[in-house]
Amino acid sequence: MNWTTKDMDTYLQQKEYIDTLIVPLLKVETKPELLKNSSSSSEFLMYLTTFLETQFKGRMMLMPPFIYTQSTNLSTFSETLTVDLADMPFKHIFFITTDAQWLSVEIKGQVIWLPSIPLESMDEKLRQTIIEDQLRQVLPRFTEVWST
Amino acid sequence: MSNKVSRRQFMSYTLMGTGGFMASAMLMPMIRFAIDPVLQSSDGGDFIPTPQKVDELTETPVRVDFTIKDRKDAWYKSDVANTAWVYKDGDTVIALSPVCKHLGCTVNWSGDESHPNEYFCPCHGGRYKKNGENVPGTPPTGPLDEYEVKVEGGLVYLGKTIPNTLV
Ligand code: FES
Repeated sequence: MNWTTKDMDTYLQQKEYIDTLIVPLLKVETKPELLKNSSSSSEFLMYLTTFLETQFKGRMMLMPPFIYTQSTNLSTFSETLTVDLADMPFKHIFFITTDAQWLSVEIKGQVIWLPSIPLESMDEKLRQTIIEDQLRQVLPRFTEVWST
Repeated sequence: MSNKVSRRQFMSYTLMGTGGFMASAMLMPMIRFAIDPVLQSSDGGDFIPTPQKVDELTETPVRVDFTIKDRKDAWYKSDVANTAWVYKDGDTVIALSPVCKHLGCTVNWSGDESHPNEYFCPCHGGRYKKNGENVPGTPPTGPLDEYEVKVEGGLVYLGKTIPNTLV
């Protein structure tokens, strides 16, 4: 499900089926020399989470991305998130990011880190293949929690 | 898919109710902007070419990808990758939508080892026969949708999704 009124209505009626929350964590760099890379990872994360959502629409709620800049204190950020996200009754929470810093931050839920791949130079078909490959690698993380 | 608001319905929604006149004058430009791409794509009923050659189809469904250009979706305006399960039944080309009728996950042909000749939905174990018929006792309550199919120059073209006509 996407964070839209239409999907939210479905979610509110079908909470017991849609038990997994996907939270994209997006780092936005503001230093001029990093802008290009930053936009590239933003695109990558967008494609990946969009694809993930279409594959598992009926089981996942995809939140809008949580965006922060390079000087954000991630520990505080994650504390706030942990507290606020707990208001929702999801059984499983996954954070998806291309920012490796999250691997050393304490947060309630699972962090899926993927290295950003520059998709901008690829044609559609290759891009789709790459995204699917990436997804296939993280898929066991989901199936594992779903089967317990 | 089928519950898209037509331009006329949309007008009548915004014009109804008290204060509707004022509100619609203010809201229309904004909402029109957001909703226009949707209206356009449902107006066309166009067929979209796929790379799938008709002679290469068999009775076993294969996945065919095609792209709808410029849909406003997600965070940005983007091209949308779409998929169909396509097979031949005699000489007829059948294309089914992979969207599970339970809550909309993407189903896979032979996606579950214990049910090799069915579509399988990984989300809550929904299952469908080859023609899209839902297997009773699994969550989906209806058959998979069908795509309108056209063959041109030996290639498969796909149109709108329509309710399953095979079941
Ligand atoms: S979404 Fe397919 S079985 Fe629930």
